[in-house]
Amino acid sequence: MTLSHQDAEPLIALRGVTRIYPGAAGPFTALDNVTLSIERGEFAVVVGASGSGKSTLLALLSGIDRPTSGEVIVGGTAVHALKERAISTWRGRAVGIVFQFFQLLPTLTAAENVMLPMDFCGTWLPRERRSRALALLDRLGVADQADKLPHKLSGGQQQRVAIARALANEPAVLLADEPTGNLDSRTSAAILKLFADLVRGGQTVVMVTHEHGALRYASRTVTLADGCIVPSDHAAYA
Amino acid sequence: MLRDVWLHKPRTILVVLAIAIGIVGAGSVLNTWALLRVVVDEGYRATNPASATLWTDSIGPDLLARVRALPAIADAQVRRTVSARALVEGGWRPAMLFAMEDFRANRIGLVRERAGAWPPKAGEIVLEHSSLDLAGAGVGEALTVRYGEAEPQALAVTGIAQDQGLAPGWMEHLIYAFVTPATLARLGAPASLNQLQIVVRDASLDQDAVRRIAFAVKAEIERAGHPVRDVAVPVPFRHIHADQMNSLLYTQAGFGVLALLLSGIMVVNLVTAMLTGQVREIGVMKSLGARRGQLAAMYLALALVLGLAASALALPAAAAIGRAYADFTAGMLNFDTAGYRIPLWAYAVQLAVGALLPVAAALGPVVRGCRIPVSEALRDFGIAERGSGSGGRLLGRAGGLTRPILLSLRNAFRRRQRMVLTLLTLATGGAVYLGALNLRASIRAAVAGMFGAMKYDLAIRFARPYPADSIEAAVARVPGVALAEAWSGGSAAVVRPDGTFGNRFVVSAPPPGSRLQAHLISAGRWLRAGDANALVVNPKFLEDEPSARLGGDVTLTIGGRASRWTVVGVAAGESPVTMSVYAPREAWTAALGVAGVDRALVASASLGKPAQADLRRRLEQELVRVGFDLAGSGLVAESRAVTEDHLLMVAGFLMIMSQLMIVVGGLGLASTMSLAVLERTREIGVLRAIGARHGAIHTMVQVEGLVIGIASWAIAIPLSVPMSLVLGRAFGEIMIRMPLTFVPEISGIFQWLAVVLVVSVVACAWPAFRATRVPTAAALAYE
Repeated sequence: MTLSHQDAEPLIALRGVTRIYPGAAGPFTALDNVTLSIERGEFAVVVGASGSGKSTLLALLSGIDRPTSGEVIVGGTAVHALKERAISTWRGRAVGIVFQFFQLLPTLTAAENVMLPMDFCGTWLPRERRSRALALLDRLGVADQADKLPHKLSGGQQQRVAIARALANEPAVLLADEPTGNLDSRTSAAILKLFADLVRGGQTVVMVTHEHGALRYASRTVTLADGCIVPSDHAAYA
Repeated sequence: MLRDVWLHKPRTILVVLAIAIGIVGAGSVLNTWALLRVVVDEGYRATNPASATLWTDSIGPDLLARVRALPAIADAQVRRTVSARALVEGGWRPAMLFAMEDFRANRIGLVRERAGAWPPKAGEIVLEHSSLDLAGAGVGEALTVRYGEAEPQALAVTGIAQDQGLAPGWMEHLIYAFVTPATLARLGAPASLNQLQIVVRDASLDQDAVRRIAFAVKAEIERAGHPVRDVAVPVPFRHIHADQMNSLLYTQAGFGVLALLLSGIMVVNLVTAMLTGQVREIGVMKSLGARRGQLAAMYLALALVLGLAASALALPAAAAIGRAYADFTAGMLNFDTAGYRIPLWAYAVQLAVGALLPVAAALGPVVRGCRIPVSEALRDFGIAERGSGSGGRLLGRAGGLTRPILLSLRNAFRRRQRMVLTLLTLATGGAVYLGALNLRASIRAAVAGMFGAMKYDLAIRFARPYPADSIEAAVARVPGVALAEAWSGGSAAVVRPDGTFGNRFVVSAPPPGSRLQAHLISAGRWLRAGDANALVVNPKFLEDEPSARLGGDVTLTIGGRASRWTVVGVAAGESPVTMSVYAPREAWTAALGVAGVDRALVASASLGKPAQADLRRRLEQELVRVGFDLAGSGLVAESRAVTEDHLLMVAGFLMIMSQLMIVVGGLGLASTMSLAVLERTREIGVLRAIGARHGAIHTMVQVEGLVIGIASWAIAIPLSVPMSLVLGRAFGEIMIRMPLTFVPEISGIFQWLAVVLVVSVVACAWPAFRATRVPTAAALAYE
């Protein structure tokens, strides 16, 4: 029953989410009563101008930030209600995050970077972690870079390692924040294609981007403006 | 830029604090040093110490007036010093009573009143400040005092006074006290004042010149019909503990410089980190047309401002700590710092160093930072793209480590220069700590060597001479005596070519073939059976009596009679501070003109101080029972404790210094780790974003600190060897006139490990807590 109930629920559900930041020039509403749901296996691309609330949306989905009001449900978990201590563990297992500037730990090799989330969350047996990391790197086409430190890798390679790291704990959803923002167009295209491949394999991806080229891979486009979702032909409302 | 300084308050506060800590560390040592120098130089002079002391039978007002009228004499006064015993916690402790007609008229060797009433009246006793603990009585209580075998008398303790010219009573294991001649009479002690203290008019005279004046005074007293028994002339204006004090002051000065260096290292670390955080700003300013020189001047001016701010914080703290430490040190040597100020030059030096040190430390990093090309400076995003050094990678390959531990290990080696400097700071503190422990062990070994020559456990003095055979027979009858020998001895002085004689020294006269004294000889030979007037002297004797040399003859005055003696050997391992001499028993008693000997040396059959104290008690009872008159007795263990206390004092100071340095090292580690956390805010955010919990982040920072701590531990061990050798050499030369043998204190290595672990954990507690406060959002914030 639970399973079927869960299946019936969307993977991600935002209900009446508002996020207001206090500021010197008065409160700033980053998201205004946003309601949105994303199903399993979707490739949702969030677009919008600077300051439209894209990054806030991502921060709320990953539990990095909390809504001022409203509910954030990811994979059946009420993220907005989680205690601070529980959030880290939940995030490590349920969400994989890909950053614009890769944010690989410079003192760890590519493989060690991928193994790190498994260490933190205690997923997989310790002796299995390296082979799993190598398998992920192989899947992303950078297996030959496994024992190199990040500064020896190109930007594209670093982002592939970062994606592998985000996938380490088999998260329900991959959150990507401008993942191609720091890459040349050829590499960007390759990374976008990679995300599309992952989605084809069943992975749910939510990606914030400025890049219009991303839209052709998206199964959904969510357009934000001034903290609100702009209705569009592709958009589906819950 | 100033706004930036304000915006990054934690970092700015850290920089100012680091500089302040450095100045407090070095400044307090400098203040202690400067203040103690003044106290030692002026404080002792201010007590108007006696230029010489003469002992006779008694000196009346007329004779005193005649001495005072001598042209070379500035002042003279009389007193009496009496050895007695005081009853403390059921046992008798040695006491020294100073008596004077009116202490208010005391002008030589000034005594400062500390508490209660001053001066003492008849039946009252005023205790010397440094003997309080030993006396176990305070103002308002009674102290039972006994002179010889006379009836003990309870005296009311009415006050506490301090005589800075005395070595501390607690160190000498001697209760000093002040009484009136009437009190002496009540105790049954001779009450006439027989000790003449003089001060010469010309304060610039050396010891020999003062001695000639003292002998002119001696002649004057003898002309008045009073035989002068002894003349003592100390080195003018030199406190008895001046050597210890000087060695302390110089060591402290050395550590002051070291502390300053360490704080300089800390500032280099912090300024480098600050500039790293400013790379973008530098890029922006350069793109707006700022020249390299302008930027450098700006940052150096900022360093100056921060230095001044730190000095403003540090100077009062350094003054307070320096003052407290000087008080403590002075107290150990029976000095009083009250009424003395830290000299102004010490403040000036601290201010100058405080202001300029950050500028000097910033010079290198600033020049480097301002050279970064604009394009590079503007491209400063994300996690710093810098791998760990090969050392870190090697560490990681040790295998079997989880990634978080690996991350801590490699992070520790990330800022190689900063890590090395932090490491060295902590390791230096550790090396001094180990050095101090080794020095303590070496001192104990040296004292054991010194006393190792004494194969007896206690000595008994008789009030008059007895035949050696009768003493030995009576002592041997007491159960628990392993071996007993009857010795003679006393005091003598060298008659100098100009007719004056030198300071008195103690002579021990063992029987031929003595088994209670080992023969440690550094030159010549030990006494032999059949030796006539032969002497074995210690190095201090040859130093103080330049006319004496190995193989040469000297004339001694013994009990007022002159005799010729030959120096046949120089003893090693003897007291470094006082002259001591051995002579054959029969030759000595002949020169003294007495039949019989006056002391028994006894080896106890059982070890341990309680058993030996018990044997002493039973021996005294038995000897009195069979009719001997006793003058006193002493345990070797007690004299050994006195000597150890003297010598260990400096090791104790070193210990305190090393602990301070470890604290500075800990602060260095704390600042390094705080910086690391500040610099890695985004990285920590990323770790949180990929699932690291509070505990994991906390542990990672702590482990990184422990890596540095343990590395410092390891480095300090080899570093402590040259440190111990240098300390042992310097200390030995100053205190016992021979280099100490290096004795490693192995347990110290483990103690130091425990210390460094605690220091690391404590130093990283705040940075680790800060790290857990880093919001995950930091991972996403790019501007």
